[in-house]
Amino acid sequence: MPMSPTLALILLAWSTEDPAKLEFSRDVQPILAKHCFLCHGPDQGTRKAKLRLDLPSIVGEEQGILVPGQPLSSDLISRITHTSADERMPPAEESALTPGEIELLTRWVTEGAEYQRHWAFDQITAPALPGGGNWGRNEIDRFVLSGFADGDLKPSPEADRATLIRRLSFDLCGMPPTPDEVTAFVEDESPGAYEKLVDRLLAADAYAERMTLAWMDAARYGDTSVHHADGPRDMWPWRDWVLRAYGANMPFDQFTVEQLAGDLLPEPSTEQLVASGFHRNTPTSDEGGAIDEELRVKYMVDRVKTTGNVWLGLSMECGQCHGHKYDPISQKDYYRFFAFFNQSEERGFQTRSGNADPKIDLPTETQKTDLAALDESVQTVEAFFRTTAPQPGAFEEWHADERKGLLERDAPVLGSWYSVGPFQKDTKAEAYSVDHGPEAIEIDVTAKVDGQAWKERPDQDGVVHNLGSKQNAAIYLTRTIDCERAQAASVSLGSDDSIRIWLNGKMVFEKDAGRAAAADQDQTSLELPAGESRLLLKIVNGGGPTGYYFRLGAENLPGPILAALKSEPERLTDEARSVLHDHFIQSGWPEGIEQAAIKASALARKVEITKSLGTVMIMRDVPERRVTYILDRGEYDAPRKDQPVEPGVLEDLLPFPEGAPLNRLGLAQWLVHPDHPMTARVTVNRYWAMLFGRGLVSTVMDFGTQGARPSHPALLDWLARDFIENGWNVKRVLKQIVMSATYRQDSRADKARLAMDPENALLTRAPRFRLHGEFLRDQALAVSGTLVDKMGGPGVKVYQPEGLWNAVSLDRNKRFTQDHGEKLYRKSMYIYWKRSAPQPAMATFDTPIRDTCVVQRQCTNTPMQALVTLNDVQFVEAARHMAQRLILSETDFNSRLDLAFMLCTAHPATPLAREVMLETFNAQLVVFKADKDAALALLGMGESARDESLDAAEHATWTVLASMILNLDETLTRE
Amino acid sequence: MDPIQERSRQVTRRTLLRNGAHGLGAMALGSMLGKTAFGDVRDKGLPHFAPKAKRVIYLFMNGAPSQVDLFDYHPKMREIHGIELPESIRQGQRLTTMTSGQNSFPCVAPMFKFKKHGQHQTWVSELLPHTAGIVDKISIIKSMNTEAINHDPAVTYINTGSQQQGKPSMGAWLSYGLGSMNRDLPNYVVMISRGKGNFQALYSRLWGSGFLPSEHQGVKFRSGKDPVLYLSNPDGIDAATRRRMLDGIAKINEAKYEETHDAEIQARISQYEMAFRMQTSVPDLMDLSSEPDSTFELYGEDARKPGTYAANCVIARRMAERDVRFVQLFHRGWDQHNNLPKDLRGQCKDTDQASAALVLDLERRGLLEDTLVIWGGEFGRTIYSQGALTETNHGRDHHPRCFTTWMAGAGIRTGYEHGETDDFSYNIVRDPVHINDLNATILHQLGIDHDRFTYPYQGLDQRLTGVENPRVVTELLA
Repeated sequence: MPMSPTLALILLAWSTEDPAKLEFSRDVQPILAKHCFLCHGPDQGTRKAKLRLDLPSIVGEEQGILVPGQPLSSDLISRITHTSADERMPPAEESALTPGEIELLTRWVTEGAEYQRHWAFDQITAPALPGGGNWGRNEIDRFVLSGFADGDLKPSPEADRATLIRRLSFDLCGMPPTPDEVTAFVEDESPGAYEKLVDRLLAADAYAERMTLAWMDAARYGDTSVHHADGPRDMWPWRDWVLRAYGANMPFDQFTVEQLAGDLLPEPSTEQLVASGFHRNTPTSDEGGAIDEELRVKYMVDRVKTTGNVWLGLSMECGQCHGHKYDPISQKDYYRFFAFFNQSEERGFQTRSGNADPKIDLPTETQKTDLAALDESVQTVEAFFRTTAPQPGAFEEWHADERKGLLERDAPVLGSWYSVGPFQKDTKAEAYSVDHGPEAIEIDVTAKVDGQAWKERPDQDGVVHNLGSKQNAAIYLTRTIDCERAQAASVSLGSDDSIRIWLNGKMVFEKDAGRAAAADQDQTSLELPAGESRLLLKIVNGGGPTGYYFRLGAENLPGPILAALKSEPERLTDEARSVLHDHFIQSGWPEGIEQAAIKASALARKVEITKSLGTVMIMRDVPERRVTYILDRGEYDAPRKDQPVEPGVLEDLLPFPEGAPLNRLGLAQWLVHPDHPMTARVTVNRYWAMLFGRGLVSTVMDFGTQGARPSHPALLDWLARDFIENGWNVKRVLKQIVMSATYRQDSRADKARLAMDPENALLTRAPRFRLHGEFLRDQALAVSGTLVDKMGGPGVKVYQPEGLWNAVSLDRNKRFTQDHGEKLYRKSMYIYWKRSAPQPAMATFDTPIRDTCVVQRQCTNTPMQALVTLNDVQFVEAARHMAQRLILSETDFNSRLDLAFMLCTAHPATPLAREVMLETFNAQLVVFKADKDAALALLGMGESARDESLDAAEHATWTVLASMILNLDETLTRE
Repeated sequence: MDPIQERSRQVTRRTLLRNGAHGLGAMALGSMLGKTAFGDVRDKGLPHFAPKAKRVIYLFMNGAPSQVDLFDYHPKMREIHGIELPESIRQGQRLTTMTSGQNSFPCVAPMFKFKKHGQHQTWVSELLPHTAGIVDKISIIKSMNTEAINHDPAVTYINTGSQQQGKPSMGAWLSYGLGSMNRDLPNYVVMISRGKGNFQALYSRLWGSGFLPSEHQGVKFRSGKDPVLYLSNPDGIDAATRRRMLDGIAKINEAKYEETHDAEIQARISQYEMAFRMQTSVPDLMDLSSEPDSTFELYGEDARKPGTYAANCVIARRMAERDVRFVQLFHRGWDQHNNLPKDLRGQCKDTDQASAALVLDLERRGLLEDTLVIWGGEFGRTIYSQGALTETNHGRDHHPRCFTTWMAGAGIRTGYEHGETDDFSYNIVRDPVHINDLNATILHQLGIDHDRFTYPYQGLDQRLTGVENPRVVTELLA
């Protein structure tokens, strides 16, 4: 074979120099992965010529592909340098190797063609601390400093105190420091001042909120279900669990196990069950035409993806359809991993209103107390019946009376049914609870109800009737009941779904149900007075058909009682007498009736409370393991029945722990096993990225062969190992990082640093980056003094432009109803997160849609963001409250301005800022003095009141200044 | 020029010049330029070849219009009306669970008249008289197909190339790949209107940026006071005050830049200026009062009503004039599971004239040659009736196996029909075009080789057109 000119040149070049030895994973593997593995890599499906270049077994003389030390005898080298285009690899249609890449591969073979495992799949090393240098505060700095060694780079000096406290406050708590906190820290000359500050911040509630916010992105948390109708769900109790976990500094291994498998722990506590809801944040669908299994598979795919992204820093999803092209994840590996999740008992087709099973009730403290009290009153009644008996003879007397009445009673005369409706609302609950017109008035069937007329119906009683199929709608039915004499009449009912009954304007029965109508679903009794009574039924439908069933009369008493009642007393058998006596005790004996009513009402109230209990979705597996098959091309309906797979982990990374259960719990234990090569690295890298805006591995979500290599591999391993060895202590690792001199550097870049380390990969300075949208809004609320700093609870619907939900929602299904009062001023992490139409101000600032896992947010800079902070009523309202605060707190321009800058930037105004602001103030005051309406209009932005004792022109002018300060780069940025 | 705008222009230019003078270097300047507008102009080697289209207007008919009743007519349908769908046609294929429980699948011929139009005698329904009038200017693809059978996955699929959420939309890809052609408006604009039929849901992911930088996500324009969210100044703040505020902010920010050398500050100054320009440019764009009566004669009187599909079509043309790269109109209400005869007529009445007018209007302004217009939905509808078939009423279920889309302008053949279905408009018998093929063809007209247009994410070279090998439908090209 002729030697190619390229190869000749390379070999020639080496004879003259002796470069440092190549490192496979750094220098060679990326080239192979980029150019070769697609056809000669782990994926069997696309493999060509049965050749695999990703395994070291390919090296050797026999194979002749890669012969150590002999590039000229190695087929790989001859093929990549071949002079004939037909023979040359990669094939012409693929992207060609550069001469530099050819050179590296050739050198690698010359140096011995040594393979190494991909760094991230290999054990976490125990790197020795680099020596040398006289800079730094802790171990981290020694690693960072060693990265500068060869260049002229030097670390930046420490940032000033005010910058540091603002940086720390945002990084650890997502909030700006107060001016008092800034001053106290700047003036604290004790040696432990910085550490004291860090400890205070790590102990704050806001720390838990800040960490939870990041976790919400990873966990794709939302308040709606995502697909099709994108209906509401309540997963906030899970989010509140995360808040508590971070607040209590739950070790990350426990945090992992409880969220991935809290339900599988022995006798799980309610807390652990709630934690397992992590994977119930999965987007779900309620689309009518879908197939249950198709959706169910989709959810499992999402869980595999999320678990892979969050804990392994790997994208596993390729494995759904085929083997991974680059990383060692075969399709079988994928479905073994999938099989852990495939045991979930939930259905594919889920609800569009509320939580889907499996879920658990979450009573509040009050509800718990109430339920206990009701139980007690039921027990008291039962005790009464056990211990108290009626007067002798009372039963016989009653029987004689009842019998006479039954035999002689004039049956009530029933009028025709009339109906009106449907009256539709956004939710079934609303349709059920709201009076659409006739509930509180005297009914006149010739009058209209909200524009709709009563219509007579020919319905016969004792049959289920269909009333149409309007969703989330109420229909009313009414009729008269005429009695010669007052009497109690029993009623037997059925309804689809919920039902309420009024007699003569008084509600006498209600049942909030979700069911198909059938005969005799509920029984109640009507106390009919003599004369004409007016009966009103309300049937509320949540979906599908609407229906009802109605039957009136003593004949509804259970047969044996009725028969006994009609029987002459002396003819009663003992058994019949006993049945009738029991009936008498509860329905005939006055004390008994009273007690029975107490019990019935307690039970009804219990049902009511139980229904109103908050719930949260949890994980629960089917009792018998579901067999998982490899799905051909990932299609739900193409299981390869000949290829069932057992649950299993990526054994290549770490074998499944001995003795661990073969379920999600075992999977979680595998992930947090101290020998696992990835979980700790991926996790500490995520924390690093949170604090530095960029990970030590810059591809935070990809630790695979295609991802970036760590900028400081030894530091990453040192941090990961330290994290594991210290019990996965999250606050500890964060503290360690922020205590370093590396973290405390100034963020200002000079030209030399910019030129030598433009991306700051070497950490020669602190990063400067724009704050999250949540932090910006929270900062505005905090500096204005309007923040309502309450933790947890359901999502809040804050200001947003009109019509956004309506523009996208299914058949006008869900409308946005803004909250008022306190809820408008809660922290942004509590904003109700509708995933088909996320809150637009936050979305503009890169808050992810959260319909898929995101472990690092983007940080963009767009004109739309400027429009939010300048014009969104939330920010304008905050500006006017901030202005009010400035005016009320200080008396002269300079002090007010300094306070404003201290609030927003932790520094007083610079001379330039003072000059600019004074100029603006003077010009603007003239404008507002001349146009008081404009001033008042500005001060009217938002729902909160202003202090009317303030001069409007001055207040408005300060509002303009406050808005400017809220829009300064320094305010928007963490420095 | 308005003095305020003039000032803003100067500020931007000065900033740029000084940035250069300070020798910040090509890298920083590049990254700043890359972020001065909505588009990232950093070199991605695009376009791969000379484009035919500079911009795209995508008329997306959300909910799936019935190809059976609009374009894909076979005279034989009159004979099969009322008969059971033969098993030889259905071949056991998947139905949605909305009709899979039906025990009868009676075929329904369109309850509308069809006539042949244009030089090539193209069948078009009486419901689309205006579209019928432009058949010689468009290509009609009758053999579109997809795998997704339900709305949410299907609409996600055609807009992002994947049935799973999380991928960027086509408009975001184009914004990312091709950058912006104007300095006053977003690069990718979405407008939503709705008709009279059942509304299927929309999702912001359909115009989202997925893993691409989020400045490439579609910006929703709406009728009313704030055509772009948060566009209007707060009450009491007039343009002069706003200008004063921005000048002050810029001065302080410039000083901050001198101190930190952070290029993001420069970008931020530019973005605030862009926001300010949009406060004028967007209302100008949306204000149709300067349009002559002839516009409304062409698009229909509906176009005078803000928020209608017709008005949005006029705005789309105005955006094309202003070089907005990608305009996507979502029109809702095409999901005719029932009441098809009445509701489909209503849908067509709301859209037909304006759709055709847009093509004619672009043509007479010389814009059609480099503007690609696409009309279509996410899948088709069944030949058989969903629910009871009566003399005057019926419905049709989802049908992914074939549907009709049309394209016009920017190097697309005129007066051409592509692909063919069987007499039941059920199976494709010739020249199938998968939705990924359509997307590959759209990219091709923009000078992009879909296979080479990738973005590395999670260890993969991600593509709009997925991992299968889609094909550019060269037969559609003039």
